[in-house]
Amino acid sequence: MQRQVALIKQSLFDQGYLDEQFMELEELQDDANPNFVEEVATLYFKDSARLINNIDQALERGSFDFNRLDSYMHQFKGSSTSIGASKVKTECTMFREYCRAGNAEGCLRTFKQLKKEHATLRKKLEQYFQASKR
Amino acid sequence: MTVEQDFEAVDQFPVGMRVLAVDDDQTCLRILETLLHRCQYHVTTTDSAQTALELLRENKNKFDLVISDVDMPDMDGFKLLELVGLEMDLPVIMLSAHSDPKYVMKGVKHGACDYLLKPVRIEELKNIWQHVVRKSKFKKMKSIVTNSESDQNGVKANRKRKDQYEEVEGEDEEERGNENDDPTAQKKPRVLWTRELHNKFLAAVDHLGVEKAQPKKILELMNVDKLTRENVASHLQKFRSALKKITNEANQQANMAAIDSHIMQMSSLNALGGFHHQQQIPQFQGGVATMRHYPLGRLMFPHVSSSLPRNHNDGGYILQGMPIPPLDDLHNNNNNKAFPSFSSQQSSLMVAPNNQLVLQQSSYPSLNPGLSPHFEINKRLEDWPNALLPANTPQSDVISNMNTTNQTSFCRNMDFGSSNAAQADFSDPSQMRQGTVNNLSLFMGQQKVENGSMPSDAGSLDDIVNSMMPKVQSQTEFFEGDLGFGWHNSSLRTCI
Repeated sequence: MQRQVALIKQSLFDQGYLDEQFMELEELQDDANPNFVEEVATLYFKDSARLINNIDQALERGSFDFNRLDSYMHQFKGSSTSIGASKVKTECTMFREYCRAGNAEGCLRTFKQLKKEHATLRKKLEQYFQASKR
Repeated sequence: MTVEQDFEAVDQFPVGMRVLAVDDDQTCLRILETLLHRCQYHVTTTDSAQTALELLRENKNKFDLVISDVDMPDMDGFKLLELVGLEMDLPVIMLSAHSDPKYVMKGVKHGACDYLLKPVRIEELKNIWQHVVRKSKFKKMKSIVTNSESDQNGVKANRKRKDQYEEVEGEDEEERGNENDDPTAQKKPRVLWTRELHNKFLAAVDHLGVEKAQPKKILELMNVDKLTRENVASHLQKFRSALKKITNEANQQANMAAIDSHIMQMSSLNALGGFHHQQQIPQFQGGVATMRHYPLGRLMFPHVSSSLPRNHNDGGYILQGMPIPPLDDLHNNNNNKAFPSFSSQQSSLMVAPNNQLVLQQSSYPSLNPGLSPHFEINKRLEDWPNALLPANTPQSDVISNMNTTNQTSFCRNMDFGSSNAAQADFSDPSQMRQGTVNNLSLFMGQQKVENGSMPSDAGSLDDIVNSMMPKVQSQTEFFEGDLGFGWHNSSLRTCI
């Protein structure tokens, strides 16, 4: 099991889903906080699901309030960075670029990609945590 | 951290330092909390700025340091930063994912001790305790400096002054701060009650209630470095006294003496960073103590070159000593003009020896656009006490002359506004309306000039003047209202 856990983690890093920040979080995990990383990840996914929802709605409305979208994305980026969600972070940055350029189509495209990355990461992390617990 | 650990940690600073962490992002907050725990600090978290403020207000001694995110839904982080600085005088560190220098600059300007970028690293958090030490060290220095002075005006709010006056942060401030910090300085640094400072004072007094305000509490609320209780106490005294004057009947001869000394003080006041009075016009920049027969000329002497009290930009109350114009000049001005109802901001304050204070209004720029009337008034009140600091003996002579002659009605037009670019709009139309003003007190308030050159505080002066005007309007309401005499705006023109 340990080995599997290690493998999963390694692949997450290798594939760029996670970066050093995640490692920092792991270092914070200790006896006083045995499930720290998982707790943080849970918080993150809960929060980000809400944000994604907000952005989805905003985009569906078709009004493209770039300022607001940018502001949502800023939040998203902040928490993604904190957890070390590397690919998600990249998509966030790109999305904000499109916002600044007023490129609606770019935003839509990027956002789709972002959601995908987000979902993948979530799954992988779930796997990871499951494996760690065993 | 267990409770036991906390108790033990209390004396082992920075271990056990009590931090309040504010961030609406749950993920970040959780991480921050853990990081801070890892540094062995005692952590309290909240995701709402409002809650944070409540916690702090409940007991400001409960925390040593505040770390706050910048983007929060219920309140801008910078606003929180300001409030904490104003009310509690705690070091605040800003956190943000924005690395844009302009945010950092904003943080600095609002008083942040530090600005950290997310994701925060533990190494950075391990050093944040330095801000607590630094701040308490400054407080100690401040008390040393002020204790060594007998004068109230020891502490100079250089920092404030700087900000307002030059908008140059950093070195200059520090230099000045250093000057003031020298405990061995023989000269007592005068506290320059800049607009900002006065506003803070007013805010604090408002909060506590004028009657109940205590210097100590005010000081705490104001949370200004290097300001001492004594400074506040003296300022409060002046403030109250000004208030009383305003609300009382203008005919109080007894004030003259006080006014005299004030005037004297005023004359020695220095313009912050160079008050630039535009012209020789008698512009009463600073707040002038209400003086009934105060020879306005003295204060708002047209020939006074440096009389303009603080420059608007200065944000300080500076009443330059104004040379006293020959009384004759003043006399010539007959101020039997009806005062137009002027907004407080524009008023030419004219003091007639025959106890007529004619205030002429000119359009003044709004005194303190940002200030609430209370502030305005308070400010003015505050101003002139400071303005009055320098007392020139000659003034008393003049005053007495004024008092006795009663012949000269001199109109003093303080063209605050005119000379200054921006004049506050005094919106106190009813204030000065005097055909003949009896026992008008010339109210001189010190004000920071709104605009660069003109003492925008003229408005307050106007207010004061207005209020001093023979009960044209109820003093109190005047007082209540926008006291903003357009000091700067008031065009006090000597009517000669």
